[in-house]
Amino acid sequence: MWSVSDDALVAGLATGDRDAASAFVRRFQRRVFGLARTIVGDDRTAEDVAQEAFVRAWKHAGSYDPRRGSVVAWLLTITRNLAIDSVRVRRPLAMEPSVIVDLDRMSDERDAHELVQLGDDTARLRVALGRLPEDQRRAVVLAGLLGYTAREIGEMDGIPLGTAKTRIRTALIRLRAALVVEEHTE
Amino acid sequence: MSADERGASGVSGSGCQQARDAAPELALGVLAGAERAEVLIHLGHCLPCQAYVAELTEAADALPLVAPEREPPAGFEDRVLATLDDGTRSRRRRWVASIAVAAAAAAILSITIVRVIDAGSEPSAVQSNVTAPAVMRARMVSDRSGDPVGWAHVSGGHAVALTVSYGLEGGNYDIEVRPPSGDAVVIGDMTYEGAQGSWAGTSPVPIDARSDIALVRPRGGDTVCHGTLDVAR
Repeated sequence: MWSVSDDALVAGLATGDRDAASAFVRRFQRRVFGLARTIVGDDRTAEDVAQEAFVRAWKHAGSYDPRRGSVVAWLLTITRNLAIDSVRVRRPLAMEPSVIVDLDRMSDERDAHELVQLGDDTARLRVALGRLPEDQRRAVVLAGLLGYTAREIGEMDGIPLGTAKTRIRTALIRLRAALVVEEHTE
Repeated sequence: MSADERGASGVSGSGCQQARDAAPELALGVLAGAERAEVLIHLGHCLPCQAYVAELTEAADALPLVAPEREPPAGFEDRVLATLDDGTRSRRRRWVASIAVAAAAAAILSITIVRVIDAGSEPSAVQSNVTAPAVMRARMVSDRSGDPVGWAHVSGGHAVALTVSYGLEGGNYDIEVRPPSGDAVVIGDMTYEGAQGSWAGTSPVPIDARSDIALVRPRGGDTVCHGTLDVAR
């Protein structure tokens, strides 16, 4: 079962195949729970979010379109949206500095060249994030992982709205360029 | 052409400029309300801006991949599978119910077709009263709480962009246009999840400035939110 592709697992999920569902959960639960925990900050809420993410994936497996992105990116986007929603309902969004600290740590864990050689989007993103200026990395993580708007980032960091937007835009363009460049060098 | 080059080129007007300005937040899923709706309307007819947003979305969608992995609590997999098993059983029950609903819908559709044919020799109230301004806007309000939950924008009497953020239960909803007189028409459906739902498309019927737009539970269920269109200022 572990050799089955991600796309095939989603197809099995859509048909109600219990073995496929079990393998799907087992394959992605660490990533889903890890992302939920990063955003919401506590285990109990993170487990609720992660569980609901798998239920949503199961409900919408039939409409998953591989042309629009990988299975894991699709699943993590569902998780991210649910996690942001739960935090927003529970309390006003507060900054989670640990996320940025984790990203710093992750980018230092291995030599950047070694990570790029791993040849997957995750490694490329980590390297590219590590290379961004701190203010851009912070802005894009706050928006992309924690769901802050440019206006909220501007207010939090005491910077003009235009500056917050520029930081997000520049960071996103650099991350995208890193993905494309590394794809072309493979 | 790269995203940064594209960001500076192909800009042909204020709509493009606004879309490029908002594109990063749109790609990251944090753009909401009227601004999101306006950008979606623009993207509906601007291919260069669509391409720009698509490129940024590629990076934005990959961003959650960098979150650290973590082992969930013991028994997590079993609890998820138990929830899915429950859902499978209830989904089977819904399938049985939907067959009955489909039969009813077919009957309603046949009645509607007869009414349209009957109206063929004389323009209906809906058709004769349409005076659609260039851009109309409606603030969507929750029918349960009365709180604002989103915006609908209509351009040229047909192009519709609807965004709803927060305040609704997750699920699928039909999008209904309710003219001041005449029957309501379902123009599409929208999935609301993760506290966000959006839809952009073309209404098969012209939309009047005094029309209501509503989200209703599928197959003629309750209205969850609605708004009355007015000329956007």
